[in-house]
Amino acid sequence: SGLVSLLVFVLALEAQALTPSHYLVASDVDRLQAVLSQPFTDLKSAYFSVVGLSKLGVSVADSNDACSFIKANVDSSSIEALFYAAEASQAISSCEIHVSNETRDSLHAAVSEDSTVSQIHQAVSALSSLGLPLASQEVVSALKARISKEDNVVAITLALQTASRLSQQAELGEILEEIEDLAARLDDLGGVYLQFEEGLEATALFVSAAYALSDHVDMEPPLKEDQVIQLVNSIFSKKSWDSLSEAFSVASAAAALSNNRFHKPVVVSAVGPATVSHSHPLLQLHVTDVLCQPLSSANVLVESATSVASKAAILSQTPFTLRDGIFELNFMASKPASGYYQFSVAVTGDSRLVANHVELKVKVSTKVAINNMDLSVVDKDQSIGTKTTRVEYPNKGKASFIADSHQNFAMTFQLVDETTGVELTPHQTFVRLHNQKTGQEVVFVAEPDSKNLYKFELDTAERKTEFDSISGTYALYLMVGDATLENPVLWNVADVVLKFPDEEAPSTVQSKNLYVPKPEIQHLFREPEKRPPTVLSNTFTALVLSPFLLLLILWFKLGANISNFSFSPSSVLFHVGHAAMLGLMYVYWTHLNMFQTLKYLAIIGSLTFLAGNRMLAQKAVKRYSLHHL
Amino acid sequence: MSSSVISVISRFLEEYNSSTSTKLKVVDAYLLYILLTGALQFLYCLLVGTFPFNSFLSGFISCVGSFILAVCLRIQINPQNKAEFLSTSPERAFADFLFAHTVLHLVAINFVG
Repeated sequence: SGLVSLLVFVLALEAQALTPSHYLVASDVDRLQAVLSQPFTDLKSAYFSVVGLSKLGVSVADSNDACSFIKANVDSSSIEALFYAAEASQAISSCEIHVSNETRDSLHAAVSEDSTVSQIHQAVSALSSLGLPLASQEVVSALKARISKEDNVVAITLALQTASRLSQQAELGEILEEIEDLAARLDDLGGVYLQFEEGLEATALFVSAAYALSDHVDMEPPLKEDQVIQLVNSIFSKKSWDSLSEAFSVASAAAALSNNRFHKPVVVSAVGPATVSHSHPLLQLHVTDVLCQPLSSANVLVESATSVASKAAILSQTPFTLRDGIFELNFMASKPASGYYQFSVAVTGDSRLVANHVELKVKVSTKVAINNMDLSVVDKDQSIGTKTTRVEYPNKGKASFIADSHQNFAMTFQLVDETTGVELTPHQTFVRLHNQKTGQEVVFVAEPDSKNLYKFELDTAERKTEFDSISGTYALYLMVGDATLENPVLWNVADVVLKFPDEEAPSTVQSKNLYVPKPEIQHLFREPEKRPPTVLSNTFTALVLSPFLLLLILWFKLGANISNFSFSPSSVLFHVGHAAMLGLMYVYWTHLNMFQTLKYLAIIGSLTFLAGNRMLAQKAVKRYSLHHL
Repeated sequence: MSSSVISVISRFLEEYNSSTSTKLKVVDAYLLYILLTGALQFLYCLLVGTFPFNSFLSGFISCVGSFILAVCLRIQINPQNKAEFLSTSPERAFADFLFAHTVLHLVAINFVG
C-alpha cells in the first residue's frame, strides 16, 4: 500500500505539470516564414532570412539569387560580414565562398583575449562554416577569459553558441556550466513565463545556444520540464515580431525546441471548440511540436474521461487514431450523456516529450425534445374536474385557456434528450406570458420535481401584482436553453386569458416606462445669511470709531504733544515708513494676497527698522545725557 | 455701602492722578481707547449675531492683542519697574511694541476677509 500511495503522489504531481499556454499555430508559423522571406536589404538581413528559413525547414525562394547577393556584398576585411556570408552560404545548398589566406589569417587573429565574445563567435562560426581548421583549445581559453570580463547574458549566450562549433575533444566543461548559471538568471513571472529581463531575443537565443551546445556534448541541459514549458510560453507569446533579428531568434529557438536530443515540448489543442454531438461525434486534437508539425510517430491516449457532474468515468486508456495529421476519437460511440467531461490525455512514444500529459474539458451537446406537454385549468376548490389538453411541439394549442380568480392555470412537461430519451434539466426553463395589446411581459421559472417532471402553476390571485392586474389575452411561451443544447427552444404553446379580480389599474398604465422625462428638480441655491439692517451697521461703525476721538481729546487734555519732534532724516524716514506699513495693511485688505504683502512688507519694514533703530538710538543718547547731567 | 465704594474710587483716582507720570497716562488713555473699541465690537456681535464670524474675530482679537501689547509697553517703560527690566531700555520696548504690532496687524488683516 506504500507503493500505491507513492504512485498516486507521483501521478498527482504529474497532473499538475505545466502545459504550454502560448504556442505558435499554423498561421503564426506562416507569418514567421513571411517575415523571414522579405527581400534582402543588406548582408545582415540576408543572413537572418536565409538561416532563419533554413531553421524552419524551408529553403529561400531563389537560392541562386541569394548566393550571388551574398558573394557580391561580402567585405573581406570585416569579421562580421564574413560571419554573415559564411553562415548564409552554408544554409544554401551548392553555394560556396572562397576566402584568401589573408582573410583566413585575420579570422584566426580575431580569436584572442583582446577581441569581444561577439567577435570570437563570428570568427569561429565563419571558420567552421567555411570548412577551415581552427584551434579549439585556443578558442576555449579565449572564451573563458572573455566571459569573466563580459559577464552579461548576450555575451555568455554567444560563448555557448561558439562552443557548440568546436571539436568535441576540447575541454568544454566550464563553458557547459555557464548554461546552469545563465538559467538561474531567468526571471520567473507568475509561474507561467521564464525570460531574461534583456527581453525576448536574448531568451530565444539562449534557448537555441543551450540546446546546440548540449546536443554537441551529448549532455542533458540543466533545465527542468516546467522551466522548458515556461520558456516556451515566453518565447512564443509574441505573434508578430518587431525586427528581423527578433524573428530570427524565435525561429532558432523553435527549431532548437522541436529537434534536440533531450527535450521536446508537446502542444496539444483541440481542433475548433472541444465539443462533440451526434452530428459531430469525433473529438479531434492537434498534437504537434512547437513548430506546429504533427507528431505522427506518437501515441495519443485518453488515460481517463470523467463526467464533471457525476464524476463517473466514461473512458479509460482509449487510444486516438491518426488521420491526416489530426488525432481523432469517436467519443459519441461511448454514448455519453450531455454535459462536460474532463479528459486526461497522454502523449507517449518518445522519451524526450515534455508536457505530454494534458487536461482537456470536452463538452457533449445534444438536442432537447419536449414531451407530454399538458396544459390544464384547475379549479381552486376542486369542485369541477380538471380538463387537460396535450399540445405537441411545435404546434400551438388550438383553444385559449381561461383562468380567473377561482382557477389556477397549470402546465407540466418533460424535457428529454432527443436521441437517448434521458431526462434533462437545462439551466434555463422559463415560461413567458406576453400581453400583445399592452406589450407587457412576465417571466416565470419552471422547476422540475424529484422525478424530473417540470411543473408550472399560475395562481391569478397570487400573481396579480406581477401583471399589474391587467386582464386580457396573454401568449404563453416556453423558453429552454443551456450551454450543452444545440437547439434552444422558444415555443408559443398556447394563449391564456387571465381575468384578475379588481380592475383597479387604469387602462392607461403601460409597462413601467423608464425612459420618459422625469419631473424637473428645482435647484435651491444657498440662501445668503440674514444681514442686520444697514442703519444698525452704520451706527455701530460710527460708534466703534468714536473712541478714537475720545483718545485724541484725552491726549490733548494730558498735554501730549509733538514739540520734541527732531526732524532728523532717520526720524522722518521712520515715520514715513511706518505710515507706509499701515497703508500697506489697508492695500492688503483690499487688493493684495499674503505673498505680495510679505514682499512689500519686507522692503518697507527693513527701511523702517533701520531708520527707527537710528532714531531710537538718538533718543536714547539724548535721554541718557539728560539724566546724567 | 455705596458711599464706601465711591470713596474708594475717588481716592484711587486722586492717587492715580498724582503719582502717575504723564507718559504713563498717555499710554493709559490709549489702553482705554482700545478697551472701548473692543467692547463696542463685542456688543455689536451680541446684538446682531456672529455673521461673518471671521471678521468679528479678527477685529476683536486685534483689540485684545493691541491691549496686551500696550500693557507690556507700559510695564516696560514704567521707571518704577526699572529693576526688573535692566537690559530693556524704553526705546527697545517701543521697538518691540511696533514689531509685535506689525505681526498682529498682518494676521488680523489676513483674517478679516
